[in-house]
Formats: sequence, structure tokens, C-alpha cells
Amino acid sequence: MTIVVVMEQVPDVVEELAIAPSGTDLDRDAVSYVVNEYDDHALEEALLLAEATGDEVVAVGIDTTGELDQALYTALAKGARRAIKLTGDFEGTWLSTRAAARLLVPVIQELEPRLVLTGVQAPDDLDGQLAPTLAALLGWPHASVVIGSQLVDGALQVRKELWGGMTMTLELELPAVLGVQAARQAPRYVPISRVRQVMREATIETRDVETSGDLAPAIMRLRFPEEAGQAEILTGSASEIADRIIELLRARGLL
Amino acid sequence: MAQQIAVLVEHLEGQPTDVTFELLGLARRIANTNGAPVEALLFGQGVRHLAETIPADRVVLVEDPRLRYLTPEATAVTLATLLRADPPRLALIPNTSLGMDVAAWVAAALDWPLIAYCEGLETRDGQLVATAQLFGGKILADVLIDDRPTVISALAGAFAADAMQPEPPGTIERRDPPSELAALHTRSVVLERPEAADVDITRAEKIVAVGRGIESKDNLELAEQLAQALGAVLAASRPLVDAGWLPRSRQVGKSGLKVKPKLYFALGISGAPEHLEGMKDAELIIAVNKDPKAPIFSVADYGVVADLFEVAEALLERLEG
Amino acid sequence: MLTTSERIAFVLIALASLLLTAHGVSRIVRAIARGQGRPNWGIFFRRVIPVSLDILLQRPIFRTRPFVSLLHAGVFFAFVFYGLVNIFDLAEGFIGFSTLHRGGIAALYNLIADLLSVAALAGMLGLLIRRFGLRPFRFNERVLLLPSVRFGISRDSAIVGGFILLHVGSRWIGQAVRVAESGRPDWSQPTASLVATLFHGWSEAALTMASHVTWWLALGLILAFLPYFPYSKHIHLFMAPLNLILREARPLGQLEPPTSSDGTLGAERLEQLRWYQLLDAYACIMCNRCQDVCPAHGTGRALSPAALEINKRYYLNRNLAAFAGGATSPPLLEIATSKEAVWSCTTCAACVRICPVGNRPMLDLIDIRRALVNRGDPLDPNLQSALESLARYGNSFGKPARQRARWAKELPFTIKDARKEPVEYLWFVGDFASFDPRMQENTKTVAQLFHAAGLDFGILYEDERNAGNDVRRVGEEGLFEMLVEQNLAALEKAQFRAIVTTDPHTYNALKNEYPAYGFRVPVYHYTEVLAELLERGALRVQQPLRAAVTYHDPCYLGRYNRITAAPRRIIRALGLELREMPRHGENTYCCGAGGGQIWMDSGGQERPSEQRIREAVALGDDLRYFVVSCPKDMAMYSDAVKTTGYEGRLTVIDVARLVASAVRIDGLEPESIPVESEAR
Repeated sequence: MTIVVVMEQVPDVVEELAIAPSGTDLDRDAVSYVVNEYDDHALEEALLLAEATGDEVVAVGIDTTGELDQALYTALAKGARRAIKLTGDFEGTWLSTRAAARLLVPVIQELEPRLVLTGVQAPDDLDGQLAPTLAALLGWPHASVVIGSQLVDGALQVRKELWGGMTMTLELELPAVLGVQAARQAPRYVPISRVRQVMREATIETRDVETSGDLAPAIMRLRFPEEAGQAEILTGSASEIADRIIELLRARGLL
Repeated sequence: MAQQIAVLVEHLEGQPTDVTFELLGLARRIANTNGAPVEALLFGQGVRHLAETIPADRVVLVEDPRLRYLTPEATAVTLATLLRADPPRLALIPNTSLGMDVAAWVAAALDWPLIAYCEGLETRDGQLVATAQLFGGKILADVLIDDRPTVISALAGAFAADAMQPEPPGTIERRDPPSELAALHTRSVVLERPEAADVDITRAEKIVAVGRGIESKDNLELAEQLAQALGAVLAASRPLVDAGWLPRSRQVGKSGLKVKPKLYFALGISGAPEHLEGMKDAELIIAVNKDPKAPIFSVADYGVVADLFEVAEALLERLEG
Repeated sequence: MLTTSERIAFVLIALASLLLTAHGVSRIVRAIARGQGRPNWGIFFRRVIPVSLDILLQRPIFRTRPFVSLLHAGVFFAFVFYGLVNIFDLAEGFIGFSTLHRGGIAALYNLIADLLSVAALAGMLGLLIRRFGLRPFRFNERVLLLPSVRFGISRDSAIVGGFILLHVGSRWIGQAVRVAESGRPDWSQPTASLVATLFHGWSEAALTMASHVTWWLALGLILAFLPYFPYSKHIHLFMAPLNLILREARPLGQLEPPTSSDGTLGAERLEQLRWYQLLDAYACIMCNRCQDVCPAHGTGRALSPAALEINKRYYLNRNLAAFAGGATSPPLLEIATSKEAVWSCTTCAACVRICPVGNRPMLDLIDIRRALVNRGDPLDPNLQSALESLARYGNSFGKPARQRARWAKELPFTIKDARKEPVEYLWFVGDFASFDPRMQENTKTVAQLFHAAGLDFGILYEDERNAGNDVRRVGEEGLFEMLVEQNLAALEKAQFRAIVTTDPHTYNALKNEYPAYGFRVPVYHYTEVLAELLERGALRVQQPLRAAVTYHDPCYLGRYNRITAAPRRIIRALGLELREMPRHGENTYCCGAGGGQIWMDSGGQERPSEQRIREAVALGDDLRYFVVSCPKDMAMYSDAVKTTGYEGRLTVIDVARLVASAVRIDGLEPESIPVESEAR
């Protein structure tokens, strides 16, 4: 039995981002890519489920960046059994969620998994999140913002986070699609030596896929938020600052 | 008659959330530009009383036990059925935990365009332009909305200026639950509330909030002392709650609680968008962070770029001495 | 002197004893041989003389505990000499050879034997009183100890002490009996002659009986004790010299690559340790010196390097036959030490330096870490984030590599880009010096000092990565190698004569670890460069500073690499009064940040840095400055001064800031340190 995890390389938002001259995409030269952090959680949750049930985890990704291999090898090193990379006419483009989902659906259907997990969201999800999109196209039940799951008697129990500590536990019939917010435990660490060993020994299955229709989201232009209303910066020594703060609070009757 | 602007009402067992009234207000603003009606779609069980407080031109009410909790499949299927039958100009859905599951599903099922993480929607030169917040809040994307019915997933708090008050609607129309609800693949729903919290931070007048800058659990004591000295309540950003240093009832942010205190004193919080969503409406925001570029400073009234321990201790000295 | 039946009996017992002992020893040899690798016997002949000299001078022992070392010296010299004594006594018993009342060389021999016997007895008595009366064994409760250890150590000490007292004592009394038998004192054996007066009035038969009894006791005890040797710490007589002689001449700061056996990297079990790590268990004399200097143990954490070695020894004692025969042993984390202890180590090497028998418990801990990391054991979450950040960004701060040299943009001049133009000194700045906002001030000061002195230097800007010293010491070999590859790729493109670095950990890695990867370039610490610049006048002291300061030697500079003079030359050249803390130089006390601790949550009751501040404060009320030359020290001690409440009284300052204040560079704000004209 298979559990599929969809993994995506996304621009690293820790870095400073620049907008391309066209105005409708990031300056891809200045971008470094990392695995979407929620996809890491999805992989971890999948591995934990598989460890309990003996399922095989298959990591699937669409290579829009040319740098997906590292992420897939890492997934294999963590315990995924297979890794599948989809390649095509889209390297260097910003693939919309809808277009990505359309490319993934036939591959998923062929794998016949009982569960598809992916991160709850990605930094470039202009046209929505992948999990509900996949669910709609596959016709399977789904839940997002998942913080825990358990396979019980052939059905999947998932905990969905609401707000303020409230959660909702749903039971989904399989096959289903999950958008993972946080795995049951932090994504495991895999030593670099293990990843390197996997790189020597394992292979990533590459599939070339045909594309049709619009791939990129329809953007008019990208821009930086205005730094509206910057704070008034208090300066001086810690004592001077503390005095100032107390003054401010007294003036407003807060002290 | 121009096509309606549809809004999905978000509620938990009949208690509506703030974002619902923000989206209704937004819908009203957009609808007014071309005389379109505002249609609120309310699903649930035993929510007739709630329908009476929705300020829309018409409320479409679907009641069914399977819609009691606005679970992903049931809500999405019901909404898609209704929208397919009567396509709106725009469908506004909150970009929240409940809303995320519905918006992307409905848009994909109907093959309509979707703009998520929307924080701005306005008419420019006769055209509707939506603005989405991407890449951790660092980049905004302006998207032109074309003639097709479009789903907008809007961020809570982004349209607070448009928020309306509860008022009776023009009309309330009941619709039958769609037949698809009989063939759902989602069963049994259990709602879990957190244990009775010792403190309800949403009611606190003054809050001292700590983030990763506090570095270790041992340093919480200092923050607690400062909170007490100020007559404030201690709250935290998500990473500290995830690490177990404070209970979830103290979490401020998108997946935590929204607070609007008179004083929000942020120590060592960088200001990720999810956190800002939970506190940016506080009356007086003072932020201490050693990184001058921390996004928290964009919502704070006063900022201090210094070592938070030094500032906290200096404050304590003065307050306790 | 002996009767025929006595001779026969002795020979038979000796045979039995030797057979039993040989059996035990052969088991030990097979046990140690189960360890990975093999000794390089070639170095035996090169090292045997220098090591023997060291041992004769008792140098490793006198590194600490001077009075106890004196007592031990007494016992030691006696024992060495007793080798000869036992042979002559054996000869006396079998062929009647005697040195009684002889002159010349025999008299010298008698005198030495006589005095050393008393020295041995006194020394042994002193040590036993200390062991059982004054300082019984102490391990803090969190340390993992095999059940047999607590009682076992006392029992072993009692047996060994008892053996020595009885053996030496009976031999000494035996000599007294012979003197009494002869009817007159032997002045070459003064103390024996004194004791001989006790036998005044004994009959000849009684004296003969006494001489036989004492002979048998003295030599018989050896036979009785020999088979016990393999199970006693007393075997350090042979194992300690062997351990010291066979030690490869590898720099302390250079780790051996991990051992690899059936898929395991590092060591999960005894048999996966190296042969010399098993020999360590046999050399260990259970003196607990290593525990006394361990900063983790000293702050109440679960680590005791002593317990580690002692546990190994006791496990082997009880399971020697099985282990020598090839049985799989239980995991080290069950029998030798705990996971908590393994992750408490700061890799300060104080235990390695202090051990008189050449043990290196720190290496065991690192090998266990390697095994844990390699098999995916869950890590401290902060450590995991640090490693993931290092893999992705080349620094542990989670900041993009691009931001590494941001501090340099705040300078009034541009630092040369070593990737683009040749420089004389390539300044490998280091993570903490580059990214930590508190340290950046010090880094900028160093840059300005170099610039003002006209030094030709450059940096690698964004291409510099963490050198990997601590990554290797937390056991992530793969990541360490990756960082080495990345750094070497950047270094290869640059042209430079030497490297200077602001971080002692970086210094250690570049100097000691990188040569194994083909990198052989002179490496300097910035204090060495600054000292030279001051001494040749490239930097001139405008106004000598007047204040009382103390200098903290960083572990990786002072202890690992023996660089203790250069910072002191600087401090004195600036006119400051240097007061040394008791633990200084190679004996320095760790701040607690090494071995990855700075990336983890501290688990102790207090931090070693806090203890260190108190050590400094005790040097006098007028001590103003705590001088550091390592960015991690700066971070740890700045915090410690606050948490110990000495803020305002003691200021932590980098040596570069001191230099800057004395040298007065344009545009650089000096610290407000009193100068000569302001001194009272």
C-alpha cells in the first residue's frame, strides 16, 4: 500500500527577494530554493503513518527549479521507498497550483495510493493550496491544517487545527488528501552521510510530462509592501528607554 | 441585474467569526459600485437565528446535520453546488482554517480562477484588482479579475475597515441540502476545545508577548515578572507554544487568538504575518527586537532595537523599585 | 635459606600463579584486540625512552594534586626499585644470596631499599587514609554507574593498598629480622635496624621462623596478587606506560575519522571503539582527576569522564571471558555512560590533558555521538536546527550566506575580496564573529586594527562557511566533510600566504583537521598577529592603559593549541596589570559553549561560565576587565556576568578592543578604560 507525499521547491523567504524586470515574477537569479517547510512535515507524517502500517512512502515532485533532486534524495534517505520527479516544459516558470495539480493527478491515479499528503500551503500559493485542489480533481475527501493523523480500521482520523487551541477530529474514508500543518513530531534529522549514500545507491524515477494550457498564475504585477506606519524608534541606553516607556504608559493611563 | 457578490458565512456552532462581517462589508463595497446584491451563504444546523443577523441583501440558508461543523467536504460540495447553479461575480471565502479547505476545492471543482491570501480588493479604472500577500508577506501580487466568476480567499483582518455590524438581512431563502451530501466520504466529527484556560488573553487589557528572542524557557520568568509588574497577561507567538513553553491558550496569531488590548508589549517577536494578524489592532504596540528590520516594527507604534533582557530588567527595576 | 620443600612449593605455586595470570592477561590482550585498528608498534622504540623519562619524573601525575602526587611518587619509586629487590630476595631464598652487612654497592642498594620501603609504606598509608577517610569517591547522582563500581572501587583500593602494605611491610620487617638474626645493626639499612630492636630477645628458632614467614609473605603475596592483576586497577603499572608509549603523535585538535563496522559509524558498543579506547579502561587508575576538571560534571550534569572509563573497566572485569571470546557487548549507553552525559560534553579536552595515564574519554563521547547521529537518533531540537541551517546556509544562525559579510559594509573602508585579488593574510572570520550582532563590534575593531597597521588582508565574503570544528564534534561527519569541501573550493580560488582567524574553533579546524584534506597553510590566531603588529611597531600604543585585568584562555587556543603567550604579550604591551586566575593557560576552564553546547539547551544547575566569573572576581575587588579572545567566550561571559550579578563591576572585553583603546585609531571609539595619566 502506498502513501504519496507531494514535495515542492519554493523560494527561500529567509533570503531577500527581488522582483524581475518584467514585474510578474521574482528575479529567479537571486532566488535560492528550499523544500517547502510544510512539505517536510507532510513527509514526516507520512513516514510515521507508514512505519505503523508497513505502507510504502512515495515522494513525488515537479521539477520547476532544476534543484528538486536534493529534496527527493533526502526524502529517500529519511525512509521513502521511491521518488518520482516530473520534468517538462516548465523549468524556470512559476507553476500555478491548479497547473501543478493537473500534472500530478494522472501520476497519483496510477500509483493508486491510499493517502496523499502535502504541506498545508506554500509561499507562492497565489491560486490556492494544493491539497484541496488535488482533492477536487481526484474526487477524494480532504482536510487541511492537519496536525496529526492515525489510521484506524481502514479509515483515517485526522486532527484539524482551528484557532485558539480548538481542533476538529474528522474521519475520512480512504483514499484521501491531507494538507499538513505540522507532523506529530518535528521532521526527523537525516545525517548528510546518509543522504550521500542514498545519492550513490538510489535512483530517482524521472517522468517527462506533457503540459497544456496556462501554467503560470495570471499576475498583473508584483510589488513590495509599502512600509506603512513605521514605528517610532526609541534610542538610548536601556535605562533611558525604560524611562521613556514608563512615561508613554503613564501618559495613556496604562500605569 | 448585475451578478451577486457571494460571501460564505464562517461560524462555529452558530457563533460567527469577525472575518465574516469583514467580508460582508467588503462585498457591500464592491457590490455598491455596480448595484449588485450581496448574497450570504450560510450552512449549518440550527442556525436560523444567526441568519437573522447577517447584513446581506439575501441569505441563502442550507441546514443539515452534516453541515453542522463546516467540515471540508460537506461545505465545499454544498457551496460548489449552489455556486454552479447560480454563478456569482465573486465568491468571498475567508482564508482561515475552515475557509482554506473550501475555497481551493470549489475553485478547482468549478474550474474558476482563485486568488488566495487576498489582502486588498478594489476597482481601478473600472477593473477589479485583487492583491495577494505571498512569500511570507514579503511580496504582494496584484491580479486582474476578468469576466469569469472568481473565488477570492481573503485574509482575516485585512478588510477590518470594511467590517459591518450584525443587522437583519433583506431576505432569507432556504435551500435544500444538495443530494451529494448523501455520498460524503467524511464521517464523524468531534470538536475539541482546549482545557479551560487559566487566562483568557482576548479579554486582557495589557499583554506582554514573548517570541523566539527570549531564547530559552528559563527566561520566561523574567517576562512573567515584567507582565505582573505591568498588570499585564503573558502571551506568546506560535514557536514558543509549539515548543511547549506556554499553553496554547496563550498563543497570539492566525492559528491562535486574536487580541485587541490597550497595550501589546512585544519582546523578541519578529512579526511573521501570521502573528501580526493576531495583534495588529492593539491600541498601543511597543516592540523590542534586536533586529532593526524585524517586520513587527511595521505595525508597532514604538520600537526599541536593543537587547530585550536589558530593557526588561531596566523596566522591572523601575516598576518594582 | 629456604628448605627444599619450600622451594618446591614456591615453584609450584609460582607456576600456578603465572599460568593463571597469563590466562587473565591473554584474555585482556584478546579483549583489547577486539577494538578497531591496531597499534603502530613502530613508534614503540621511538617513544619508549621519552615516555619512560616522563614517568620517572612523574610529570603527568604532578599536573595537579601536588601533595597526593608526592605520596604517589614515594610508592612509585619504591615499586620500581622493588623490581630489583624482589629478584634479590628470590635469590636469597633459593641460593642464599644476601646483601646483609655488605659494603660498597650492596650497601647503597640496601640503603635505597630501606628508605624506599618506608617511603612506600608512608605513601601508601597516606593514600589509603585519603581514600577511605578524607575523600571517598564522589559521583553526582545523575552519573551512570555500573552497580559493581561503587563497592568495587573501594574493595580494589583496599586490596591493592593492603597488598602493598603487606608486601612491603613484610619485606621490611623481614630485613629487620635478618638484622636481628645477625646480632648487630646494619647501618646501610637504618630503619630496618631500628625495627630489629623489637626482636631483641627472640630465640634463634623464632627468628628463623620469622624470616621464613616474612619471606613467604613478601614474595608469596606477589604470587597471590598476580592473578588478581587483570581485574585490578593496579595493572596500570603496565597499561599506563603502554598507553603513553603507543600514543600516536597526532595533534590534540585532530580527530580520527570514525570507525566503521557493519554499517555503524562511530561506536555503539565496546567492540566498535578503537583498541586504544579499550586500553584506556585498563590504564585507568580511577583517580577522578578528569571528573574534577570536567566543566559538565562541575555544573551538576550527568557526565563524568571518570565514570565512563571505570564503567568500561568494570564491565570488562565481569565479562572478560565472554568479551575476549567475541561476544557482543551491550550498548555503551547501557553500560558505560548515559545519552544525557554524551550530549553534555563541551569537548574542552581538560580530561585528556589532566589524565596521568594518557586516557582520552572525550574521544569515546564523540564516537558515541557519531553513532547516534548516524543512526538517526532524535537530536536536541535546537541542535537539529543548527545542523540544518549549517547544511543549507553554511552558518548556524539561519541567515542566508549572502549576509555573512554585512558587518564589513559598516566600515569606513572596503576589505579586499580574497576571491578576486591576492592577499597576504586571508582572514577566515568565523560564524559568530560574522553574524552575532554583539560580536560584530569586535570583528569590526579587528578589521580596523589590521587596516591601520597596513596589514594586507582580505576575506572570502559570502563564500566562507563554518569551518566545521564543532560539527565534527557533535558527530555529523557527513556535514563536516561537506563544509570542508565547500570551504576548500572557496580557498582554492584565492591566493594568500597565510590564514588569520578570529575564532579559536575555526583555528583548530583549519590548522589541525584540514591538512588531512590537503590544506597545508600557516594558520594564525588574530592575537598572534596583533602581538606581532604591536611588537614591530605597526600598531603603536599612544597611551598605556592602566587597569587590573585577567585573561581567559579559550580551550581551543590555550589547551588544544598551546597559544597562551601571544595574548599575554599584548596585554602587557598595553600596560595593563595581568592577574592570572588559578586555572589558566593550558589548564584553562571551559566557558561551556564547545562541543555544540552553544546550539543546545543547557541542562546544568549553572553554567561553567558563571563559575569562571566567580573565579575571576576572587582575584580582587579592583579587577575591572575579563579579557577574551574568542567570540563564543564573549557571548557566554557577557551573559554570565549578568546572571551572576557582577554587571558593572566586571566588564567582559575582547583583546582587540583593548588594543584599539590604547592605539587610538581615527573613527574608532575607545572603551572608557583608565589610561596612564588618569591613574591614581
